[in-house]
Amino acid sequence: MREPVLVTGLGTLGAWGGGSDRLAVALAAGVPLTSEVDRSAGYHLPCGARRACLVPAGELAGWISPAESRRMSPPSKLAVAASRMALRCAGLADAEETGTAVTIATAFGPSTNTEALLKQILFEGPEAASPSLFMESVANAPAAQIAIALKARGASLTVCQREAGPLLALGTGGAEIAAGRTRRVLAGVVDEMTPLLHALLDRFGALARGDEEMARPFDRRRNGFLAGEGATVAVLEGESSVAARGGRALARLLAWGSAFDPTASPSGWGHGYQALARGLRRTLERAGLQPSDVDLVVSGASGARDGDRLEAEVLRAAWEGSPLPPVATPKAVTGEYGGGLLGAAVLAAAGAPLGPTPGFGEPDPELGIVPHDGSLLAPPTVVLATSLAAGGAAAWVVLGRGMG
Amino acid sequence: MSEIAATPARIKRLIVESLNLEGMRPEMIEDEAPLFGEGLGLDSVDALELVVALEKEFGIRIKSQEIGREVFSSVSTLSEFIEGRT
Amino acid sequence: MRSQHPAGPVAVTGVGAVSGLGWGVAALWKGLRAGRGGIGPFDRFDHSRHRTHLAAEAGDPPPALARSIPGWRRLSIADRFAIFAVLEALGQAGLGAPFGDDAEAGVYFGSSTGGMYESELFFADFLRDPRRARLSALVAQQVNAPGDAVARHLGATGPVATFSSACASGALALGAALEAVRSGEVEVAITGGSDSLCQLTYAGFNALRSVDEVPCRPFRAGRAGMSFGEGAAVLVLEPLARALARGAAPLAVLAGAGSSCDAHHMTAPDPTGAGAAAAVAAALADAGLPPETIDFVNVHGTGTPLNDAAEWQALQRVFGERAGEMPLVATKALIGHLLGCSGAIEAVATVLCLHHGELHPVGRNGEEDPELPVALVLDEPLPLPGARAAVSTSLAFGGSNAALVFSRWTGAAP
Repeated sequence: MREPVLVTGLGTLGAWGGGSDRLAVALAAGVPLTSEVDRSAGYHLPCGARRACLVPAGELAGWISPAESRRMSPPSKLAVAASRMALRCAGLADAEETGTAVTIATAFGPSTNTEALLKQILFEGPEAASPSLFMESVANAPAAQIAIALKARGASLTVCQREAGPLLALGTGGAEIAAGRTRRVLAGVVDEMTPLLHALLDRFGALARGDEEMARPFDRRRNGFLAGEGATVAVLEGESSVAARGGRALARLLAWGSAFDPTASPSGWGHGYQALARGLRRTLERAGLQPSDVDLVVSGASGARDGDRLEAEVLRAAWEGSPLPPVATPKAVTGEYGGGLLGAAVLAAAGAPLGPTPGFGEPDPELGIVPHDGSLLAPPTVVLATSLAAGGAAAWVVLGRGMG
Repeated sequence: MSEIAATPARIKRLIVESLNLEGMRPEMIEDEAPLFGEGLGLDSVDALELVVALEKEFGIRIKSQEIGREVFSSVSTLSEFIEGRT
Repeated sequence: MRSQHPAGPVAVTGVGAVSGLGWGVAALWKGLRAGRGGIGPFDRFDHSRHRTHLAAEAGDPPPALARSIPGWRRLSIADRFAIFAVLEALGQAGLGAPFGDDAEAGVYFGSSTGGMYESELFFADFLRDPRRARLSALVAQQVNAPGDAVARHLGATGPVATFSSACASGALALGAALEAVRSGEVEVAITGGSDSLCQLTYAGFNALRSVDEVPCRPFRAGRAGMSFGEGAAVLVLEPLARALARGAAPLAVLAGAGSSCDAHHMTAPDPTGAGAAAAVAAALADAGLPPETIDFVNVHGTGTPLNDAAEWQALQRVFGERAGEMPLVATKALIGHLLGCSGAIEAVATVLCLHHGELHPVGRNGEEDPELPVALVLDEPLPLPGARAAVSTSLAFGGSNAALVFSRWTGAAP
């Protein structure tokens, strides 16, 4: 018997600050939350992008102490803080339940530490390499620090699959519970946006440019995404253990799935929408659903020219010409950091209202999708979250209402 | 004499700077106080971090076998070890 | 226990590998069986200013390979290892690319550093002077690049996932692949790992003083750390019933997987071995096999003083009084530590030992460590034709532990 999986807590940090309440306010307002990137290191092109969705300073206070975090990389600090928020949201104390598993996605890993370590090795010489920087340069440092901070002794899995990672991490965590290997999982995503990473993404032509630097998902004028950072962690629990402790659920994890588009280049999106549409439908079928059952799509569309085109093609092919449900695009507000998408999907399934899509004004006739305009929607019964990664991977998660 | 007095002070500064000890000032560390376990609560990674800092500061090279409990027990023992090498 | 999974037992029908012993499984097994180490001087990068100077470096690829792979020139070294190992494994399994249809095949990969070696070349230019660097040199150097490159090469449209939990990555990827086959999500899983030598990990582990100046000596007296290796390893998994129906010859059965976290320290293992033991216990429970049925263990055995001591504690927790008699295979003694790929290539070594009915030796006779009274297979291969099942352990940085249980394919349907 497969154990049903519930989402009972959400902790999140991002450009909106700390806490899922503030993310909900930001999503309802539909205003992008950008700030200036430090360009003083000289990595940037003079005419390049200047803004990103960055975590404001001071948000970690109260969630992690300076002594505890003195050797942690920025992503580890964010991840530990978001995990504590998630547990509190779920009504759970720290350091209980020895079998808690941790599944965390990261696209770029601890970039600050990797950059500093590379500079030491390449310019000062390999003997100058700092052991504590190295220790916190590995992709699984955030997952390991969550486990140490919260005494989570179950499986520890770090997923690296670019934009598809967050939904894969949620599904991987769900599979641990469904298979009966653990009763509780901390599943989520963490990424940091350093000036170097921002400059490189911009040099690849990936970021939104222009006077406004708006993401504009599905808009004819879209020219790139807004870089983002933060940490978002969900508490997943088996239905029986939630019932046993009298807990409440924000959402129900109905199904998860993934697929690959082999026509994608290593750093971009391809045109293999038919295969991805099959993967999307298969994901829904696992929950006994079909596209017409979906009330809301929380899309990973980010303003990337090719990424949004592929997303539109996949959705249209999966729905086989039938009208699409409302399509929300939280990355226009939160930036391209999967935690915004993950948080928005859980909040939407819990009934939180989603505001208009900032930057959208001119529909792209090639895409044929007009994203959500902010009008009031009935609370959805079935939410589909989508995320297509540069490089070819794709992942979907289907969420239902928490109770009933 | 000034050389000898300077080494412990330099080590204390390195401890505070390289180990990111919040709220700690070099003069708060006593020469004889244990650095690891009980004392400052440092661990094996801190010891290795301090080794890299000591190597840079004093222009020496410390072998893995030399990184032991005795040498790293306090600022005094470290200072003695460094002065034997420079 | 086994019948609880819709797909039934899961067979290994093909293996592929690149290591310091050469390109291909034949070269790997030949070297392992002879106890011939691949650890020695290397020239991937200038290591004159590093603290140690050895590695098990994979030599040049077979010349025909470069000509047969589209876009070879743009692939990282780790990508090349991965694609070679996948093609070898699929060839043995009798399965062919392209995998175009539906969820027939999934790719589950582990890597610690992906294309970091190539990234270092880029950053050496870019961080000095951004105008000098060629941006195209940085394309797809991330951790997920080898797994993606495999899927792209095969035209696979099923699930693709990359796991990066340091030295447990490969074993965790195999665990995810097993789950995907059992649940019916995929019919075939292509799973393994790939990592290449790079300065970041070489300098990093040296900064942690975890590297031996001589080839590593797992579980032996005087051991002073690990040795670096590189390469890729791939296993093809499919339901045993499917393999037999299509006339494939199973090499072994992947019976179970388990994982845990020490939740103790970022670099030091829990000295009690509790976390590692929990992963092995979980894998045995997952396989539905009691510890008595395990006839040998392919240890993580890095050769660092603390890791091997903690692993000995874990073995005693799981196997009790039998721990001291349990034959131990220490693959890292010969091919070094392949980091994110180590769990995968040691899984291949375990399958080969079960399949050939003999355990490979470590091939060097250092001194026995009185603190670790283990039955390490030392100078000669140990014949064990009746071995029923084996455990392979991966105990990583950050306390992430993974264990796999393989059972011998006896030719009789379960």
